[in-house]
Amino acid sequence: MQRATTLAAIIAIALPAYAQQDRQLDAHEHGVGLLNIAFEGDQVAMELEAPGADIVGFEHPPESDEDRAAISGAIAVLATPLELFSIPDAAGCTVVEANAALVGENADHEEHGHGHGHDHAEEGEHKEHADEGEHKEHAGEEHHEDEEGHTEFRAEYLLACTAPDTIDRIAFPYFSQFPNARELEVQMISDKGTQGFEIERDSPVLSLEGLI
Amino acid sequence: MILLRLAFASLLARRITVGLTIVAIALSVGLILGVEKVRNGARASFANTISNTDLIVGARSGSVQLLLYSVFRIGNATNNITWQTYQDLASRPEVAWIVPISLGDSHRGFRVMGTTADFFDRYKFRSGQSLSFANGDPFSDVFDAVLGADVAAKLGYRLDDDIVVAHGLASFSEHKDKPFRVAGVLEKTGTPVDRTVLVSLEGIEAIHVDWQGGARSGPAISAKAARQMELTPKAVTAAMIGVTSRLKVFTLQRAINEYPEEPLLAILPGVALQELWGIVGIAEIALVGVSALVVATALLGMAAMIFSGLNERRREMAIFRAVGAGPGTIFMMLMLEALLLTCIGIGAGVALLYTGLLIARPYIDAAYGLYLPITGLSAHELTVLGAVLVASVVISILPAARAYRLSVADGMTVQI
Repeated sequence: MQRATTLAAIIAIALPAYAQQDRQLDAHEHGVGLLNIAFEGDQVAMELEAPGADIVGFEHPPESDEDRAAISGAIAVLATPLELFSIPDAAGCTVVEANAALVGENADHEEHGHGHGHDHAEEGEHKEHADEGEHKEHAGEEHHEDEEGHTEFRAEYLLACTAPDTIDRIAFPYFSQFPNARELEVQMISDKGTQGFEIERDSPVLSLEGLI
Repeated sequence: MILLRLAFASLLARRITVGLTIVAIALSVGLILGVEKVRNGARASFANTISNTDLIVGARSGSVQLLLYSVFRIGNATNNITWQTYQDLASRPEVAWIVPISLGDSHRGFRVMGTTADFFDRYKFRSGQSLSFANGDPFSDVFDAVLGADVAAKLGYRLDDDIVVAHGLASFSEHKDKPFRVAGVLEKTGTPVDRTVLVSLEGIEAIHVDWQGGARSGPAISAKAARQMELTPKAVTAAMIGVTSRLKVFTLQRAINEYPEEPLLAILPGVALQELWGIVGIAEIALVGVSALVVATALLGMAAMIFSGLNERRREMAIFRAVGAGPGTIFMMLMLEALLLTCIGIGAGVALLYTGLLIARPYIDAAYGLYLPITGLSAHELTVLGAVLVASVVISILPAARAYRLSVADGMTVQI
């Protein structure tokens, strides 16, 4: 008992110090997701980051079976990139790797979906796990308050295309799939340099003519 | 054909009012095209300033701000990046190359930028063009400087001239004891590099060894002594990064943005540019709107001129009718007059635009560093001209219709 009190005291002293050092919070805007696209040779890598509110409509911890079903359903959908971001057939793109996960404070029991997971990707995710774990250990409740209960879905895709230079547009069935998503901020890098776009629900097409 | 000749002769007969109307149309067309040219020129000039750089890293602020100060030398950094962090970033596996940028000093109104010799290889502009030397070589000594084309031209420097760097951007305290030697002069690029004095990071460090907190402190250390000192910089302002594989760029960006030891921001230059256009776009729309209104005013002026001419031309119309012209012909003739007027106005406007560009270009380049290429009319600009023409036709229907009605009613017994 004595030892436990001492330990608690040490933690209590250590906690604020730690919290002071690490008090950063990413921006989180409901309705707006981020999409990164990189073209390199015949590979196309994509990363999607979208608020839980956009994808499943709530960011609280799953309370009912319905919530849990919504989350696992969303993860399954997020693991099919070509259904969300439609690339012209002529490019001959196939999914090499697709991972989707719910991250954030409320996703205590993180759920992952794997389309065609490879060792490499899993390793990366495990690392992420480790980070999250560490945070919790140190910051405990503090961390909870910091995040204010926001959750995010993250997905990573790797596509292989037979003719990537024929990609002149990407359409976004993403918006019809997720009715709460309003906008995607796109960062893109290709042979032609870096580009930024904002794709709105009203005109869900990204024209890439001359940019790849 | 005869109608065209008649219309032309009729315009010629009223050359003063017609001339003024043409001038009004020409000015308005010149304005709307000029706005368009400057807008596109500014965009192209910005977009051409940096290429082949995957990420720009600076202290955490806004992405547009980081882009502006690191690449365009507009505004200032909120913070520096410590050298240790810079080294940390440089050693990451995703980083193929990294070039530091250290800003803060100036030379007679031009900014001084500390960097490494890699800058001359890595900095690319206008889709992949490299810097080239008009004279001399990259800096090899601590106190060597390389001048941008405008700096050399405006201040009349030659190779091996001595230049003294001022502390800060607009201050009177100069680093007189440690002059730099001009080692090279760059070819004109049309980018902010033209207006920059490039020195090595060690050079920047050396002129500040006996300075502390923005003022000289302690005993002065001579240039010679400074050379012997440890000249590792303490901080840089920003850095340009190229990645080993584009697939890694976002991983690196995230790692930098979440770098725990120091608040950093990594941006993709093209993305920040797009954000900048989002902001500038509002002002652009206002400019385009105003110039469109000016065109509308000029066209209305033309309609007013034709209207007011109708009364004095009633006899003329009556004679046309007497020699066999139907009211339709009169309608056509007036439409043709308006069309001819607008066409001449547009032609004069285009001529005005190019003369204006030719005259103003060197001044705009010198004052704003904005290089406006003289190119033909783009498809968009031709569309604008087409729209002006269509608008003029629509507007001139009003006076033409009135002439039609009058010529039907008046007959030969015109009371003027």
